[in-house]
Amino acid sequence: MKKSRVFALSVSALILSPIMFGGLTACQPSEQNENAVVDAASFYKGKKIKWIIPYSPGGGYDEYARLLSPYLRKYSGARFDILNLPGAGGMRGANELFTSPSDGLTIGMINGSALVTNELVGIKGAQYKIGEFEFLCRVVSDIHVLIVSTRSGYDSFEQILNAEEEVIIGATGLGGSTYLDAVISKEAFGLNLKIIHGFDSSSVIRQAMLRGNIVGSWGSWGSAIDAVDDGRHIVVLQSGTERNADLPDAPTVFEMIEKSSNQERTLAIVTAWESLNAVGRVVATAPGTPAEKVEFLRAAFEKTMHDPEFLKDLKQAGRTISYASGDEMSNIVARATAMPDDIEQLFVRAIKGEL
Amino acid sequence: MGIIDGLVSGFFQAVSLEVFPFLLVGAVFGLVIGVIPGLSGHFAMAMVIPFLYAMEPGAGIAFLLGAHSTVAQGGGLTAILFSTPGTGQNAATLLDGPPMRDQGLAGLATGAALASCFLGAVFGAVALALLIPVLQQVVLFFGPPEIFVLAILALTFVAVLGKEDLTRSMIAALAGLLLAMVGLDNVTNQERFTLGLFELRDGLSLVPVILGLFAVAEMFDLWVRRDSRAGGMQANRLSAKETQKQIFQGITEAFKHWWLVLRCSAIGAAMGLIPGLGSAPAAFVAYGHAKQSSKNKDTFGKGNIEGVIGSEAANDAVEGGALASTLAFGIPGSSSMGILLAGLFILGVETGPNIITYNVDIVFLMLFTIIIGNLIGTIVGLFLVNPLSRATSLRASILVPILLVVVFTGAYAVNRSGFDIGVAIVFGILGYLMKELGYSRAAMLIGFVLGFAVEKNLYLALQLSGPYFLLDPIPLTLAIVTVVFLGYNVWTIIRDKRRKKSYAR
Repeated sequence: MKKSRVFALSVSALILSPIMFGGLTACQPSEQNENAVVDAASFYKGKKIKWIIPYSPGGGYDEYARLLSPYLRKYSGARFDILNLPGAGGMRGANELFTSPSDGLTIGMINGSALVTNELVGIKGAQYKIGEFEFLCRVVSDIHVLIVSTRSGYDSFEQILNAEEEVIIGATGLGGSTYLDAVISKEAFGLNLKIIHGFDSSSVIRQAMLRGNIVGSWGSWGSAIDAVDDGRHIVVLQSGTERNADLPDAPTVFEMIEKSSNQERTLAIVTAWESLNAVGRVVATAPGTPAEKVEFLRAAFEKTMHDPEFLKDLKQAGRTISYASGDEMSNIVARATAMPDDIEQLFVRAIKGEL
Repeated sequence: MGIIDGLVSGFFQAVSLEVFPFLLVGAVFGLVIGVIPGLSGHFAMAMVIPFLYAMEPGAGIAFLLGAHSTVAQGGGLTAILFSTPGTGQNAATLLDGPPMRDQGLAGLATGAALASCFLGAVFGAVALALLIPVLQQVVLFFGPPEIFVLAILALTFVAVLGKEDLTRSMIAALAGLLLAMVGLDNVTNQERFTLGLFELRDGLSLVPVILGLFAVAEMFDLWVRRDSRAGGMQANRLSAKETQKQIFQGITEAFKHWWLVLRCSAIGAAMGLIPGLGSAPAAFVAYGHAKQSSKNKDTFGKGNIEGVIGSEAANDAVEGGALASTLAFGIPGSSSMGILLAGLFILGVETGPNIITYNVDIVFLMLFTIIIGNLIGTIVGLFLVNPLSRATSLRASILVPILLVVVFTGAYAVNRSGFDIGVAIVFGILGYLMKELGYSRAAMLIGFVLGFAVEKNLYLALQLSGPYFLLDPIPLTLAIVTVVFLGYNVWTIIRDKRRKKSYAR
C-alpha cells in the first residue's frame, strides 16, 4: 500500500535525521548508536551533574534551573546540583564551564547573547569560544521592547522616527542589552536619540521615566509587563519577525524597515540584531564532550521542555520558554557570530560605546 | 499595592510558617550577641548576611532585622548587670542601670529596660507606618541629582556625628568611596584599581568587606586582649526567684511611665530619620529629656528608673526612623542600616522609590519584624536574664575560633571564592587598626556602600541636567545644608583649639 510505504519512509527518515545531521557520527550504523544511547543512560543513572549558573541565586537564570532540574532528573536519571558562580557579568561561570572536564558531568546555563557580544569586542578575561560549546538547548530568548512613558507625549514609533528634538532614552551599563538595543535601533533607523546609560537596573530606568527625566528605554518584555499593564508605559516597538501574541498593537522592527531611508542597510543591521537576540539563554556543556553523552542530555532537555507538567510549573512561575534544540542552537550561534564585516564593525563600536 | 493591602500582607507574611521561625532564631541570636559586650548590632547583622543567599526574601528580611532589633535589648541587660554596655547604643543606660543594680534592684531595671525597648520599637514602627504615605510622595522628587547630593549629605553627617573625630571620620568616609571604585567602571567599562586581578573585576564584594571590618576586626581585638569579654566582672547576683519577681515589676513600671516612653520614643524616631545620628546620641538626648522633665532630677545617675526607661525606649524607636530613610532613598544612615541595605541587595529586594511604591508589603513586613522581634526579645530576655548573663564569661580562646569559622565560611560561601576570605582578612586587619587608631569604620562602610550611588547618580545628573543641576531647588537646599553643617563643625573645632591655646597661655 502506498500509504504505509510513505509512513515507513517518514519514520525511517525521522530515525535517521538526527544521525544524518549529527555530522561525523552519521556514518555509524544505527545499532551502534542505539548502544551508545543505552551506554549513556547507564552512565548517567545515579550520577551527579554540576549545573553552573553564572548569576546569583534568586535571579531568572537560577529560577529556570530550579524549575527544570526535577524534570531533567526524571528523564536522565541523574541528579542536578545547581552551583551559582556569579561574577564578571556571567563570564566567570562561562569560563568555568568552558574549562570544565569534558566528561558530560558539568553543564551550564549561559547568557548566549552577552557571550557573543563579549567575543565580538574581544573582552579581556574571556577564556571561552562561544562556537565551541556543545549546546544542549535554548531555554528562552527574550522579546525586546522599546517602551515610552505615557506622560512623554510620544505614543508610537513613527513619532520617535520623525522627532525634531532629541529623544532621551535610558539604558543600564555600557555594552548591556538595553544599551546595545538603543544604539543599534538608533543606527538602523537613523533615530534622533540621546542615550543615557549608567542606570542601575531597569526599574531605576522606569522611575526616571515616571519622573519625566527620560522618554523611554529598551528592555525585555518580561521586565516591562507590569508597568505596561498599569498604563504607565506603552510598547512602541518589539523585536522579532512576527508580532508577539501579547503585543498585537506594537510593530516589529522588521515591519519598520520600510520607513527607513536606506532600507538595504537597515535590513542588514536588523537581521544581525535579530540573530544576536535569538541566541538567548542557552544550556551548554564543555567542548569535546563525547557525542553520545551530548545526544543523551539533549534528549532529556527536549523531553523536559515539552513535558506538560513542567509547562504548568513554568506558567505558575510566570516564566516563558522558547525552546530550540541543541542542533538548532549551533546554527543560531553560527549565524550570530558570522555577521557581515561592516555590520560587525558597527556592533563592536556600539558595544564599546563609540557611537 | 495599597497601604492597607500592604499592611495585611506584611503581617501575614511575618507570622507565616515560612518566615516566623527565622524571625525567632534571628531575634534570639541578636539578643545573645547583644548580651556579649563588644559584639555589637552590626556584628550580629554581619554574621547573618552569609546565610541570606539561600533564603527567600521574606525569611531573609525577618532573620536579618530580627537579629538587628533585639541587639539593643541584650545590650541593655549587660549594661545593667555588668556595668559594660553590650553595644555602643546602650551607653546611656549605664548612667542609671548599674546604680539600680547596686541597690539590689537589678531585676526591676532589666524588666523596665526590656519593656521600654519593646514599647519604643513599637512606637518607631508605627511612626514608620505613618510616614509611608508621605514618603511615597516625597521619593518621587528624588532623581539622580537629588540622590547624589543627599548621599553626600548623609556621608557628611555620618562622618561628623560619629564618636570619632571629624578629620579621621572624613578620611574613612572618603576612603570608603574610593573602595567602591574598585572594579569595572559602570560608565566606561574601564577596569579601575583591580591590580590586574580577575577577581576584582566586579569590585570588592560587600559581604567579605563587612565581615572583615566588623566581625574579623572584633576577633582580632579579642585575641589581642586575650581576656573574657566581660572582663571578669561579676554581677551583684540576686536569687533567681527574686529577680523574676522584680522583672515583672519592672515591666509594669515601664507601662506606668507611658507618657515618658512616648516622648522619648518620639525623640528616638525623629533622630533616626537623620542619617548618621544612630541610636547612641538619641539615647543620650532622651536621657537628658527624661532628666529635665522629671520631678526627681537629683536621683538621676543614682539609680532612677526613669533614666533607664527613657534611654532604652529611644534606643529602639530609632530603628523605625532609620529604616524610613534607608528604604525610601536607599541611603543608609548607620553602619547597621548599611549592612541591612547590603542584605536587601543580596535578597534581591530593591530599595528606593520602588519599594515604597510597589512593594509596600515588604516595608510592613519589616515593621512587623521589628515589633515581633522585640516582643520575642522581651519575652526571651525575661526568662533568660540569669542564664544569658553567663555567656559573657566565655573565654576568648573558645569564642574566637568558633566565630572565626562562621565568619570565614560566610565570606567564602557568598561567591564560592577563596579570594574573598583574603578580602575578609585584609579588611579585618584594616578594621582592627581603624578601631585602635580611632578611625570610623561606620563612615568607611557607608562610604563604600554609597560609593556606587554617588558615582552613578553624579554621572546621570550631569547627563540629564548638565553641570548646573546643583542649582535646582532640592539639590541646592541639600548642598547648602551640607556645607553649613560641615562649616559649623569645622568652626567649632577651630574655636575649641583656640580656646585651649588661650587657656594654655
